[in-house]
Amino acid sequence: MRTNSGVIAATVVALFLGLLAVTQVRAQDVYSRSLQLETPSSLTTLIANLAERNNGLRDEIFDLRVRTESARAEAAAGNGTLTESQKQLTQLEVFAARTSVAGQGISVKIDGSFDDKALSDLINELRNAGAEAIAINTLRVGPRSWFGMQPDRSLTVDAAPLRGPWTVTAVGAPEVMYVAMTRTGGIIGQFELIYRSTRFSVSRETALVLPSLANPPRG
Amino acid sequence: MVLILPALLFGLLVSLQWRTQQERSELTVRYNAPLLDAANSLQNEQNTLKAQLADLRKQLDDIQKGAASQNTASRDLQARIEELRSAAGLTERSGDGVTITLDDARATTTQAANVDKSICHSTDLTDIVNVAWRGGAQAIAINGERVVGSTSVYCVGSTIMVNGTLMSPPFAVLVVGPQNDLLSAYDDPRELGDIKQRRDVYGLGFRVTRSSALTVPSYGGALNVRFGTPR
Repeated sequence: MRTNSGVIAATVVALFLGLLAVTQVRAQDVYSRSLQLETPSSLTTLIANLAERNNGLRDEIFDLRVRTESARAEAAAGNGTLTESQKQLTQLEVFAARTSVAGQGISVKIDGSFDDKALSDLINELRNAGAEAIAINTLRVGPRSWFGMQPDRSLTVDAAPLRGPWTVTAVGAPEVMYVAMTRTGGIIGQFELIYRSTRFSVSRETALVLPSLANPPRG
Repeated sequence: MVLILPALLFGLLVSLQWRTQQERSELTVRYNAPLLDAANSLQNEQNTLKAQLADLRKQLDDIQKGAASQNTASRDLQARIEELRSAAGLTERSGDGVTITLDDARATTTQAANVDKSICHSTDLTDIVNVAWRGGAQAIAINGERVVGSTSVYCVGSTIMVNGTLMSPPFAVLVVGPQNDLLSAYDDPRELGDIKQRRDVYGLGFRVTRSSALTVPSYGGALNVRFGTPR
């Protein structure tokens, strides 16, 4: 009788143990993508990013209000909206990569082995840092540009081969982009750890000239 | 005596479980609550600003279209602007194409070491977009955010931002373009090898389907052309 009680008690305890162990493991393993579980550091970065985006939107709204009033006055005078339309055309030509572009920015030089995924990540990082126009060597990156790799390891941009060394140039706020690239733990630091024999250098540029998109897509 | 060791283990696990829950809860409330409020407030503000921007763009567009009849130069400029607006992603685009869904693995059995392989990453989205452009896509949107020349897919912690908008899985990537070419691009075994492997081994949600009559919204963010001038 005593033996049976002992076995039952041990079984019950073992079951509890199993249950608790599973619960504990799941509490640590189950991954939630809720914003509520972000660390304070991640939330602070998110907030800075959101605030910066909102500032950009506010600036553009202010500018557009002025331009709308100006266009309204121009149209009321019966002169069409030539001044405003020309401004808009200029802005769109830069945004759609349909014109060569001049301005300040940065350049990223890559000498050594590199691949299409890393190139795509670099372009993504530059765009996030506010790049207005980007080119790789002599090829402009457009809104629909894609990156690939040939069997001989040369990179391709929109199917056009580009042999290294590569220079990625970006027009935009030089300091913002420079810091975004070179900060501790940033993309260049990560590249340096992954592509150990490749040399990366980032520099601020005062007068870049980027070509227009070579073959704008149709449709 | 037989029960001493299990009893000790039992006590340890109860204590560990209780502490895990308690610490997580306290930390979340103390440090994250105000930051979370600020992030949500900024995202709401962004939605309002984008609506204002869309309204202003429409007003300006209406004025320009109305004035285009006033002289030939205005008409020519307006036609060129319309073409560029479409090329830049500032107009809605409809048509057939494919839909790609990407989601975290839903099974709860994933081991801690493999959690990273069972969830979506920003690089998965950029890879999916890259294949779409390669396959001849004409327009792409990720969870309603149009992919344009300035679009970045950014990851902070486990949260993903597209065009500066917060989003989380599941992701629906709508692609307008030639269906067969797009499906071939996604079926190509040389493409998205990592995603396909994580789908097969770790249960990552990844699916490409043929879709008809898709509508991809226009880009609603700022153009932010400040430093570049045409040359």
